[in-house]
Amino acid sequence: MDASLWFQNRLIGAADSLFRRVVESLWFQDVLILAAVGFIVWLVVHGSRSERWRQAWVRLRRDRSGVAAGVVIGLYLGIGVLEMIQIPRDQFGSISILGWLTRGVAQETSYSAPWASTSLSITRVEKLRGWHLLGTDALGKDTFVQTLRACRTALLIGGITSAIYVPLGTLFGIFAGYFRGWIDDAIQYFYTVIYSIPEILLLISLLLVLGKSVTNMSIALAITAWVSLCRLIRGETMRQAERPYVAAARALGQSHWKIITQHLLPNVMHLVLISFVLGFSHLVLAEAILSYLGVGSPIGTPSWGSMIDGARGEFSRDPLVWWNLTSATAALFGLVLSLNIFGDSLRRAFDPKRG
Amino acid sequence: MLPLCRATALAAAGLLLFAGCNNNPQQKPLHEKRPDGSPWTVYYWTIPDEIRSLDPQFMYEEVSNRILEPIQDTLLEYELMETKPYRVGPCLLEKVPQPVQNSDGTVTYHCALKPGVLYHDDPCFPGGEGREVVASDVEYAFQRLSDPVVQSPFFSNLSDYVIGMQEAYDAAKKAGGKLNYDTMKVSGIEVLDAHHFDLKLSKPYPQIIYWMALHCTTPVAREGVEFYDGLPHADGPKGRIKVRDKFAFHPVGNGAFQLVEWVRGQRFRLVRNERYHTKVFPTGGWPPEREAVCRPLAGHALPLADEVQITVFREFLPQWLLMRQGYLDNFDAYKDSVNSIVTSIKALSPKWAARGMKLSTSTWVSTFYMSFNMQDPLVGGNRKLRQAISCSYDPRGFIDLLYGGAAPVAEQLLSPGIPGYDPNFKNPYGFNLEKARRLIAEAGYPDGRDPNTGRPLEITLDGVATGAEERQLMEYMQRQIEQCGVKVNVIENTFARSDEKQDQGNFQLLTGTGWGADYPDPENYFFLFYSKNFPPAGKNVSRYKNAEFDALFEKMATMENTPERMKIIKRMNDILVEDAPIVLEFNKANFMVSQPWAPRIHSNMLLDGRAIKYQPVDPVMRARLQPSWNRQPMWPIYSAVAALAAILGYGIVLNRKRNV
Amino acid sequence: MFSYLIRRLLYTPLIIFGVMLLTFVLFSVLQKPETMARTVLGKRATPKTVQDWLHTRGYDKPTFLATGPKKPGQAGEGMFDTIFFNEMRKLATFNLGVSDVTGRELKEVFQQGAIPSLLLTLPAYVAGFLMAVGFALFLVFVRKSALDTAGVFACVGLMSVPPMVYIIFGQAVIALSFNYFPAFGYEMRSWSSIRFLLLPVALMIVINLGSEVRLYRAVFLEEIGQDYVRTAQAKGVSSVRLLLVHVLKNGMIALITYVVAQLPLLILGSLLVENFFGIPGLGNLLTSAIQTNDFAVIRATTFLTAILYIIGLTITDILYAVADPRIRLS
Repeated sequence: MDASLWFQNRLIGAADSLFRRVVESLWFQDVLILAAVGFIVWLVVHGSRSERWRQAWVRLRRDRSGVAAGVVIGLYLGIGVLEMIQIPRDQFGSISILGWLTRGVAQETSYSAPWASTSLSITRVEKLRGWHLLGTDALGKDTFVQTLRACRTALLIGGITSAIYVPLGTLFGIFAGYFRGWIDDAIQYFYTVIYSIPEILLLISLLLVLGKSVTNMSIALAITAWVSLCRLIRGETMRQAERPYVAAARALGQSHWKIITQHLLPNVMHLVLISFVLGFSHLVLAEAILSYLGVGSPIGTPSWGSMIDGARGEFSRDPLVWWNLTSATAALFGLVLSLNIFGDSLRRAFDPKRG
Repeated sequence: MLPLCRATALAAAGLLLFAGCNNNPQQKPLHEKRPDGSPWTVYYWTIPDEIRSLDPQFMYEEVSNRILEPIQDTLLEYELMETKPYRVGPCLLEKVPQPVQNSDGTVTYHCALKPGVLYHDDPCFPGGEGREVVASDVEYAFQRLSDPVVQSPFFSNLSDYVIGMQEAYDAAKKAGGKLNYDTMKVSGIEVLDAHHFDLKLSKPYPQIIYWMALHCTTPVAREGVEFYDGLPHADGPKGRIKVRDKFAFHPVGNGAFQLVEWVRGQRFRLVRNERYHTKVFPTGGWPPEREAVCRPLAGHALPLADEVQITVFREFLPQWLLMRQGYLDNFDAYKDSVNSIVTSIKALSPKWAARGMKLSTSTWVSTFYMSFNMQDPLVGGNRKLRQAISCSYDPRGFIDLLYGGAAPVAEQLLSPGIPGYDPNFKNPYGFNLEKARRLIAEAGYPDGRDPNTGRPLEITLDGVATGAEERQLMEYMQRQIEQCGVKVNVIENTFARSDEKQDQGNFQLLTGTGWGADYPDPENYFFLFYSKNFPPAGKNVSRYKNAEFDALFEKMATMENTPERMKIIKRMNDILVEDAPIVLEFNKANFMVSQPWAPRIHSNMLLDGRAIKYQPVDPVMRARLQPSWNRQPMWPIYSAVAALAAILGYGIVLNRKRNV
Repeated sequence: MFSYLIRRLLYTPLIIFGVMLLTFVLFSVLQKPETMARTVLGKRATPKTVQDWLHTRGYDKPTFLATGPKKPGQAGEGMFDTIFFNEMRKLATFNLGVSDVTGRELKEVFQQGAIPSLLLTLPAYVAGFLMAVGFALFLVFVRKSALDTAGVFACVGLMSVPPMVYIIFGQAVIALSFNYFPAFGYEMRSWSSIRFLLLPVALMIVINLGSEVRLYRAVFLEEIGQDYVRTAQAKGVSSVRLLLVHVLKNGMIALITYVVAQLPLLILGSLLVENFFGIPGLGNLLTSAIQTNDFAVIRATTFLTAILYIIGLTITDILYAVADPRIRLS
């Protein structure tokens, strides 16, 4: 290899390891979480100034199913945050709040049924060390605790992916819809190319190249997710841009950037919000599918997807090991269902005719 | 709309009833009865992947063995009932040839073929009738091995010993890359007459008899190779042009079975060779627990089954599912496929045992271990660190997870059944946590911590993990090694990626490495640590290099099994254990679950496809038991239809209320 | 219309080029040809055999652009005599080549694999569509009743379960406990072979049913809200007739474009279902190609998918223009 290439590799390698060290350090993650929460709060406050959003909020409050779904989502968020925040623990580094709360749960050696007192194995029946609400998995970890801990994985994947694809998709969509011409063509070309590759293929190969980790999964999912948002926003922007007020603003001499930020962006934000919520549910499901295909969360990271993946073998055991699949599916179902119902109520809240 | 709904519901139910009549996924057999009226017996078997070639001189993969071995007999064959140790016996040859030392240092083996062995009937022969197997067919086989066009992977090994192979290859290369079979002969094979030939080696090599038990040395019909050239010919009906198969996909064999059907990627069908008489069922040597099954079969003509249907199953779970339903006769974890893991059957649960299924476990002639990369600056240079890691890993937990405790922990590199295996040897660096902690402190990392940074030392563990069960196993390994205080980063790879890392030396500690013996000789294990065998050309995955070991290896490689050889083997074993380039794990266990109508009659792990001709099947028992295992309850259908009707009814009632 | 088609025709090769470039970049990082050779040729392959294998397939050339000086022993002349451009040239003439792993002709492999995939997806698609339309109409029929709310909830619920759970359950319960259908396998020999497909097709329908019914219901509800429906009702048209004749017909216009766009991609089958039930379709082919790093298959599949997708897009756009004269294809 010639010298420039070698040097390039070294540079990339150094940048990569620095990036990883920062991203995976503890305080960085905690700061990120707080920043995300803060951002959402700011959004809400900012949004409440708009008349349309205030009306939507009133309608949303009255929608009982939407409120119920929102509460459930909040519950998941709470559990996820409990698992995300790390507190230092003696000399072993750190542990999450949830981990600390569940530190008393016993660790077995292998499968055991819910509420059972002995292990599942036929050859070696041993007495269990503790009581397990939903039984244990292949390595003896408590199923209920694993399911709770997996909330973090699901939320991280949904959150990080959204943090990447939402701004990307929205901006590109607005640019494409507003500027038209060659910018529109270029952006369309871009996303047609990405969309033409079978999604599964793209995801799996990206993940095989990048390696398995939650961040990499998010990046890969974001690459495929921004396309539909972009299309949606582009269509809506084109519709908005034909309105007289935009032409008027141009005539008054307002710059492109001002028009985009002050007129177009607020008018498409509701679509972005709805897409975000519904997209979140797709992302959580996607994680499960990717785990089944073998490119999901890495070993040691609890996730619903890997629990479901393991269920395939568990279902042919004798006696049947059903509790892992059931609890992972139930947890997944709860979150995705609530997201979908909440998304629907949002849609109705912003546009009551389309209910 | 509503009448349409009702109609579709009825049609769906009807379709269900009709098609759901049986859940048997197997093909119908070729015949119902034999010519003499007794039932036609079929054996249902599986294969883990599609095969790439059936060319005996080219193919070297386990998977293809399953199809090629029943079709093609070899010069010698391992004795079915002898496993401690394994021994070869005659097959196509009359008896096992003995080496005759010549004055110039070469060795001659006088070989005699059994007369009257015929090839299968095939259009490549005149009149379509298979002719007798003769000695010049063996010469032809060796010529093919030396033919650059064939690209035989066996050439480089055999040409080191068999005189004339290298010369034939060079002559072919000079003449444009193709061997002329009429002029360029292999001088190491001398054909004396139709049934006798001499095999000449340039130096003593006792392991050559194991090569004669491999399919690469089996006699091949020249007519077959030349007929099946893969080009268009007027073979079709009314002289239509059809592309003929290549020889790699249309072998012409002389074994107990003939390949009659091959749906690519899906299944194979083998049918008995009526004229087979090369071998018969053994007349003794079986263990006492198999007496009842084997005694009545002693000396019986082979093959015992009439037809074998082999289906491609890439995953193991569906095999187990079909096994439970009685649609497969035999279920086993395949040799050397590290991906295939049998975790669903730790012990046969009472439900299956009551049906008559039997679980038998035996040990593969293989050893599995994790390989350190001796060229890695961290682990390669620090022997005590490697020893410490070896001491903190308990293979027993892994074996429990994977084999229900049925596989033995490997204390040494050699597997049971190999001459030189010492059943009383205990690995001084086997699982011992106290020793692990002491050693890791001596290695310079007390409690597994790097004294410079204060944080735990990080070790990277690479492995193949494409399924949930494999991931669970890797997690187990991670936790085990972390017992000595280090931190283990696990990297999951696909099979292909793991191979790539092996070849490039791009790992620190690699799991899933191991070796399954090609033949029962210790040389076949120790060559894995010979320093001239670094990847990608060789298989020394750890890149282990030790001058004393190398010298001893060169000495013992071609010795007969004398006490002196055993002493050398012991010393080599001690060196290896002390240097710890690997963490020994286990000898792979083989789970075989067999149906009551197709009992296991042997535990010979070196005979895979070859053992099929010895397999008895009782079709009457199967026909009786299968339906009772696959009853179809009717209540779900009734309740589903009822629910559908209820919903429709509610809709109709609602409609009436609204329209009034 | 004509100019639109011309533009589309010119646009397509650019897209294909972009797609193939992306695929190549991904896979050249993923694995070097030498490793592929060694995996295929087996444990005992010598470096000479590996070199020969690479040479016959043209894999010993540089990957993208042959800009550097030629290394000794390396094949290829000219800047564009590289793996990328050679393969692109072959694909442009629809010469799909040979599988890297099994050595079989890919054209034949695809032809053979397309049939089981289509036998799986086409009935699932058609039957699923009919059922979804039927259910959607039924829900519109009983709109604003408890059944409607229950129905919508059921749809959202159906969508919220990962597809693998349906498949695992379906196989475990229906095939294994009830023994109605084979749990695994595939054969296409006679009519009775249909039993291999009933369960997978049914599962595919169930997986997609939730989202489809919701979508169609929304479309039909929008139609019901239109003025002409109220006029028809006032004129005394019965509910049933209203649904079937007016709402359905007008709703179809919106639906048909959505439905037709997906047709070309049906040939790829379903990765999950085929893998589970051992149906040797193109989905299964793709999964095993990814696992074995069979680059030739992946290349060919990506190429075909891109073309099919663009065909689908084009048809959709044309249908939109035909159905709704207000939209101009400019």
